[in-house]
Amino acid sequence: MITLNVNQKSYKVDVDPNMPLLWVIRDVIGLTGTKYGCGVAQCGACVVHLDGEAVRSCVTKVSRAEGKKIVTIEGLSQHNDHPLQRAWQEIDVPQCGYCHSGQLMSAAVLLRENPNPTDKDIDAAMAGNICRCGTYLRIRKAIHLAAEMQRKGK
Amino acid sequence: MKQHSAMKPTNFPLKTITVMAIILSVIGIMTTAFKARVSPGGNPESSKMKRDSLASVQAFMDVYKVLMSPRCMNCHPAGEAPLQGDDSHIHIMNVQRGKDGTGLYSAKCSNCHQPTNVPGEHTPPGNPKWQLPPGDMKMVFQGKTARQLAMQIMDYNQNGHKNKEQLLEHAHDTLVKAAWNMGEGRTPPPLTHEEFVAAWNKWIETGGYAPAE
Amino acid sequence: MSQTTDVKQISRRNFLRVSGLTGTALFLGFYFPASGKEGKVVAGADANELGIEMNSWILIDTNGKVTIVDHRAEMGQGSFQSVPQIVAEELEVDLKDVNVIFAQGNQAKYGSQITGGSSTIRGSYKNLLNLSASAREMLIAAAAAKWGVPKSECYARSGQVFHKSSKKKFHYGELVVAASKLEAPKDIVLKKPSDYKLIRKPLHRRDSPLKTNGEAVFGLDKRLPGMVFAAVERNPRLRGTIKSYDDTEARKVPGVKQVIKVKMKVFQSYREGVAVIANSTWAAMQGKKALKVEWDDSSFEHLSSDEIYSRMKEALNTKEGLSFKSQGDVNSVIQQAQNKIDVIYETPYQAHYCMEPLNCVANYQKDKLEVWGPIQAPDWVQDFLSKEMGLAKENVIINMTFLGGGFGRKAFLDYPHEAAVISKEIGAPVQVVWTREDDATQGPFRPGVSYRCEGVIENGEISAFKVKLAGQNIGHMDGGGKDKPNDSASEGFVKHYFDSIKNLSIQDVPFETPIPIMWWRSVYASTNGFAFESFVDELAIQAGKDPLEFRRQYLKDERCQLLIDKMEEISGWKNRKKNEGFGVAITECFASTVGQVVKVSKDVDGKVKIDQVWAVMDCGWYVNPDIIRAQVEGSIIMALGAATIHEVTFKDGLAEQKNFYAYQMPRITDAPPIEIHIMENSADAGGVGEPGLPPFTPALTNAIFDLTGKRIRKLPFNLASV
Repeated sequence: MITLNVNQKSYKVDVDPNMPLLWVIRDVIGLTGTKYGCGVAQCGACVVHLDGEAVRSCVTKVSRAEGKKIVTIEGLSQHNDHPLQRAWQEIDVPQCGYCHSGQLMSAAVLLRENPNPTDKDIDAAMAGNICRCGTYLRIRKAIHLAAEMQRKGK
Repeated sequence: MKQHSAMKPTNFPLKTITVMAIILSVIGIMTTAFKARVSPGGNPESSKMKRDSLASVQAFMDVYKVLMSPRCMNCHPAGEAPLQGDDSHIHIMNVQRGKDGTGLYSAKCSNCHQPTNVPGEHTPPGNPKWQLPPGDMKMVFQGKTARQLAMQIMDYNQNGHKNKEQLLEHAHDTLVKAAWNMGEGRTPPPLTHEEFVAAWNKWIETGGYAPAE
Repeated sequence: MSQTTDVKQISRRNFLRVSGLTGTALFLGFYFPASGKEGKVVAGADANELGIEMNSWILIDTNGKVTIVDHRAEMGQGSFQSVPQIVAEELEVDLKDVNVIFAQGNQAKYGSQITGGSSTIRGSYKNLLNLSASAREMLIAAAAAKWGVPKSECYARSGQVFHKSSKKKFHYGELVVAASKLEAPKDIVLKKPSDYKLIRKPLHRRDSPLKTNGEAVFGLDKRLPGMVFAAVERNPRLRGTIKSYDDTEARKVPGVKQVIKVKMKVFQSYREGVAVIANSTWAAMQGKKALKVEWDDSSFEHLSSDEIYSRMKEALNTKEGLSFKSQGDVNSVIQQAQNKIDVIYETPYQAHYCMEPLNCVANYQKDKLEVWGPIQAPDWVQDFLSKEMGLAKENVIINMTFLGGGFGRKAFLDYPHEAAVISKEIGAPVQVVWTREDDATQGPFRPGVSYRCEGVIENGEISAFKVKLAGQNIGHMDGGGKDKPNDSASEGFVKHYFDSIKNLSIQDVPFETPIPIMWWRSVYASTNGFAFESFVDELAIQAGKDPLEFRRQYLKDERCQLLIDKMEEISGWKNRKKNEGFGVAITECFASTVGQVVKVSKDVDGKVKIDQVWAVMDCGWYVNPDIIRAQVEGSIIMALGAATIHEVTFKDGLAEQKNFYAYQMPRITDAPPIEIHIMENSADAGGVGEPGLPPFTPALTNAIFDLTGKRIRKLPFNLASV
């Protein structure tokens, strides 16, 4: 039995400690917002926060997450109103939408550590997240907008 | 590509250079020995050291082969991004060194690089300490000649502030050893770890000489 | 005629269950008679009476709850917003108050549901406008009758009917019983575009909030009680069969429940595989890795990319092809010409790499099959599975989830088939998950196509224009006639060139390989566009003409002229500076014409970089300009990847790129600034999701030629090492 803290809720899961966190979250706990895209930490669709860091859950053994705080896209905010979520909605960033759980979770770490990111900072934070629909220009715009909202306390 | 040329003149004992130049001109190698700076931790110029420039340089050339292999060099890049693969291409996710060498924002090394290797090919190799040298001590290997690299390693101000004992110990560091356990599909360094340690020790113990250009 | 709406009867047809409606409802939809394309508006009551399988795009219950059905897949292109945006306009309801559901697969009800060919709006909007206006008029008529006033004194707004002078009002729910007893009106007057309140407005997508908190259910997110997971080891060479397999180790993996042999139909063959059934996706994938399978691949050629492309070249250099289009006398002009252009363009095979790998949930129970998945063509899947599984069509229910990308791959039938076969075999609901490696290596792929372009310029004019293409024909996969040229041989090429180029020949040199192929965003236009519009550029240079002016000379159609004017205006074409390369391309795809101008320059290291892309879209009638912009932006990024970053190559009959590390994608660092303009006119609607893709690559390579004098004729090329 492994105890996990996901989105401030405690779960006891009976799984192989080598099972990637991604599949524990999706198939065992049943939170499907975190996505499978490549399985080898290449695309970023599976990003969750592990003690605040944007880890790729597809290569993270569940044992590494034990005793740590896990936040998934479902827990990024209570009411879908994190500045990034609002900015994503305002700019209509998603097309198919599949990669955006990971995009948002990555961007959230950027914005926490750098409330006023430049384009270069965005490049450094976001180039690990692939979007096949090609929404990159809007992602950039939305991060700037979210930063602005955050600064103005909106 | 930026080359670090900050070799401190004070690190070159003039007498040694002269002597060695005479000896080595015979076999066509120009070497330079130098002393690692005395640090609070100990005295590298201990009486145990048996100076032997020829053996030292030979040993370093083996060390150099290892350090310049992708398994070592990829995380000692000349730029701000690590390298990847046997062809040492720039890491494809635009990951950056960051101030402390552990990456930036959502692109921190340990977000993908786990404490251990992930099974399978093309998966992130793992190590609990996975990182680049920090921004204020970049310890660049990429693009360095054997001479430049040897001098850099023996320079306390460029080698991560390591004295002789610490340098010797460094060959057994978990991140150094990771070069020989980097997951499926990655060519290991040209020497075994044991051979590397032997060459490394020999290079340092015989005076830490640097090859000529 | 019975005038009651039989809720129970409708319910059997799955309407209520999916829409969550209560009480008597007005169902309004079309009946698509077998004889013609034009749908006829009918109310649910009439449909029941007539025994017609009726679609129901609009459902209004007695509480006034309005449900609009999206009959097409939502794979990012915006049908979930744009279909309701059309309906709400004429129905006079507020979009925030309506519920939108996906239709189940049923061609008899919804007409074609294949979300391909950029056809959702252009193929449906007229019907949808008529339908919605009909519903509104029926509701107004019902209110007018209740009040005993003429219809002309009433109007509809925000889900209510008002009486102008008395300000009396009913909400739609209060009118549905009466309205459902009325016949659908015959003569509907649609709004003028200038009166639109919703259409042509950049309204927010209603799926955006669902896609920022993990709420949107993609195929991979579908869960059923008792559902198990499966991963399948399939032969990566399509036509192989299983010689033997050993599942000893697979069965030892904790969580693995069962290992079975399966096969699914892929075009005219059955792809064999070994399925590992487990209690989690991961266990299934681990089990799959532990399988030892020996394949028999002896009955067909195992080609490598080098052989494929040298055969194409050989064919182009030695054979005349099947004539797709021929006018004037091309060959004699070419033979007599002193100076001719004779060049070969090569384009690679590509894979779709939807971010959501293929997957499908199937639940086969007794004689009934229900499927959920990221499905682009639910009606096709229903037809196909009904035949393959030997079930009556009404017992095959196909549900579309949100699609994490489609690009053509998810219009295919193999993965639902495999899920159905496995569910039937194990007697339980199952989710079959393709690994990224499965998705990347097994195809079908976009065919790589090579082109031989021969042309002659005399007195600054094109006196001969000949294009031969050699590449696999998608139409042949299902056994299409091999004596006919590829019917997409000029897809992408603006048809108005045909009006002005006197001596022209387009030919298809037949070319076959055992590699499975199919559509990929913008289909043949994705490769043709590059060849044709690069060739036009070469001719312009040969003629000593400005490339934009040259196109203006040959595309005399008024819409093309306006498009070119706009391209010239927004790109500052006339004010090009030294050290800047400008390239232009115009292509036609799925009834829309898109022109793009790309500006390139060299960075400090002397590497070519893209400074700006300008795109002008003429898609005629349109719904949501922001969705169009998003589609053009995405199309350009996808084209950029296919032109400069990734390709599928084959070695010994196998695709070499297995995951994103080998088939790399454009990233945020690669996206150039893009400015988009949408033309306003009264023409019929054209496609939006794909037409933005084909012109980008030739505009880019033409710009690179302008900057460097280097003509790029083979894709992909490395931008940094031009």
